[in-house]
Amino acid sequence: MRLEVEIGRLRLRNPVMTASGTFGYGEEYAGFVDLDRLGAVVVKGLSLTPREGNPPPRIVETPAGMLNAIGLQNIGIERFLKERLPFLRRFDTPLVVNFFGDTVDEYVRAAERLSGVDGIHALEMNISCPNKQAGWSIFGTDPDVTHRVVGSVRRVTDLTLIVKLSPNVTDIALMARAAADAGADAVSLINTITGMAIDIRTRRPKLANVTGGLSGPAVRPIGVRMVWEVSRAVAIPVIGMGGIVSAEDAIEYMLAGASAVAVGTASFLNPTAAIDVLEGIKEFMTDQGIEDVRSITGGLIEG
Amino acid sequence: MNRLFKAEVVSNTHVSDTLSILKLSPAGAEAAPAPGQFYMVRVSETLDPLLRRPFSILRWDEASLEFLIKVRGRATALMRSLKCGEELDLLGPLGRGFPPPPPGATPLIVAGGVGIASVYPLIGSLARDAHVFYGAPGMRELCLIDEIRGHTERLHISTDDGSLGLKGSVVEALAGFLDTSGVTNPVVYACGPEGMAEALIGMLTERGVPGYLSIEERMACGVGACLGCVTRTVSGYRRVCREGPVFDVRELSR
Ligand SMILES: Cc1cc2nc3c(=O)[nH]c(=O)nc-3n(C[C@H](O)[C@H](O)[C@H](O)COP(=O)(O)OP(=O)(O)OC[C@H]3O[C@@H](n4cnc5c(N)ncnc54)[C@H](O)[C@@H]3O)c2cc1C
Ligand SMILES: Cc1cc2nc3c(=O)[nH]c(=O)nc-3n(C[C@H](O)[C@H](O)[C@H](O)COP(=O)(O)O)c2cc1C
Ligand code: FES
Repeated sequence: MRLEVEIGRLRLRNPVMTASGTFGYGEEYAGFVDLDRLGAVVVKGLSLTPREGNPPPRIVETPAGMLNAIGLQNIGIERFLKERLPFLRRFDTPLVVNFFGDTVDEYVRAAERLSGVDGIHALEMNISCPNKQAGWSIFGTDPDVTHRVVGSVRRVTDLTLIVKLSPNVTDIALMARAAADAGADAVSLINTITGMAIDIRTRRPKLANVTGGLSGPAVRPIGVRMVWEVSRAVAIPVIGMGGIVSAEDAIEYMLAGASAVAVGTASFLNPTAAIDVLEGIKEFMTDQGIEDVRSITGGLIEG
Repeated sequence: MNRLFKAEVVSNTHVSDTLSILKLSPAGAEAAPAPGQFYMVRVSETLDPLLRRPFSILRWDEASLEFLIKVRGRATALMRSLKCGEELDLLGPLGRGFPPPPPGATPLIVAGGVGIASVYPLIGSLARDAHVFYGAPGMRELCLIDEIRGHTERLHISTDDGSLGLKGSVVEALAGFLDTSGVTNPVVYACGPEGMAEALIGMLTERGVPGYLSIEERMACGVGACLGCVTRTVSGYRRVCREGPVFDVRELSR
């Protein structure tokens, strides 16, 4: 049985990765999951300088999902390299570092700093964050801005570059094309969908930040649809995520066109979720007589 | 030791309209908790409720774990209706519990409402020297009184409505005691609802009395990965599930 997949120059031993922000810096789950069995570890989004994040409450559960407004809290790239990377280097599993910036220049400087560091194998650019230069529009909602920021990062790094797309757009295929044209090696989707919840008794928002990002099983049909649209629009590999809790969910994403998948919120309910998804994919392949996991990708039969 | 395990319901005792004591028997040998630590409990195999819920360890021995559950929403209502033989999925013990008191100190154990669950294990281990202050809105929200009396005579009960013990808040009761008893080297171990926690931090800070407080915040992962459970401290946001749930009161700036 062949489980390996390729994302840019990255070779993954299997298609199951962790989703940024749901797996900490790897160490938090290392007591439950053998990191060397994962396809890749994707760490919490980093920026050049540390971020405090939003005030609590930062999370609220919604039907089969959750809203989060962490506010991109992180320890900053320098502390990550010094304090967290040595632990992750002990594993064979490719390490994907998720990062973001407030300006194009910050993205570029972050990518420069992360490139050429031993133990970092790929970069995932989170473009679902506000663009401070352009009055708080979002990098990932304007194809021209997406093209510019991805192109600028592409010019400074040789690492496999994954662009993580925001689902908060009308036409996600357009965004994916902009990223691909600018030199992205792959796109990953979906990031969380902006949502909101209100406590009707106090009449106050349930999150201190008022709005937050929806994740978990509730978003899965949207993620599957978007992966399907994007995979038909671009030639680069697509990494699918959004509400995957089981192997069935992962296979659904692959049939829609994903070459690899990421397990996010599911790790909170089940710390071994990523490994369970992998084992389930293997079982499915055995049952269906599938030899090569890559043959599932885009296997949707329409009409 | 395994920190992710299944446990079977051995008993589920309803002690009041909203409180119940859930006794579970883990499937194998699990890591022993320390007072103030908690478990993330997966209440249902379905996706609603989705996330695990945190609960402090109330009592334990080699064969069982007990939790005191107050019904608040969906997950806790489901827990109240669990039947013997049903199985739950647990993650824990997690977090940092209460540190032992320094030599010569007088432990003052303070609980508001269901906060008794978190400090209860201290009552058995520190009872000889400790005083226990236990408050709730009314007497119906108090439980385990006989068990606490079995460990110590120095139990100070207060209720907001005066239905049992002193009328007023547990923080007022503790303040009165600190100001009049002449107690030497007090150190406070506390857990209670947000309002009580705020009042306690203010009261202890004013008097320069050291203390440890168990904080509640909404959690998703329980293991430090999601950054969802932070509380503000003098050194910035800290994760309640990892750096807490017990914090030195001096750390908590409010
Ligand atoms: C470390 C820790 C230890 C705890 N120990 C115990 C315990 O021993 N016994 C016990 O009964 N409860 C304990 N709790 C609280 C318990 O986790 C919540 O009551 C439970 O998660 C509510 O779930 P639900 O689905 O019933 O309610 P939900 O429907 O999720 O919420 C009902 C209401 O409670 C509020 N709420 C929910 N979770 C929290 C929270 N974590 N902090 C503050 N407000 C919240 C919500 O805003 C809402 O208004 C503890 C919490 C923490 C963080
Ligand atoms: C608590 C939390 C924190 C997240 N942090 C990040 C982040 O820092 N960077 C990022 O690109 N995506 C972040 N995400 C989005 C996830 O990586 C993922 O795209 C999304 O949650 C959908 O997948 P899921 O439904 O499986 O969780 C976060 C999600 C959650 C729930
Ligand atoms: S609950 Fe996830 S970091 Fe504390």
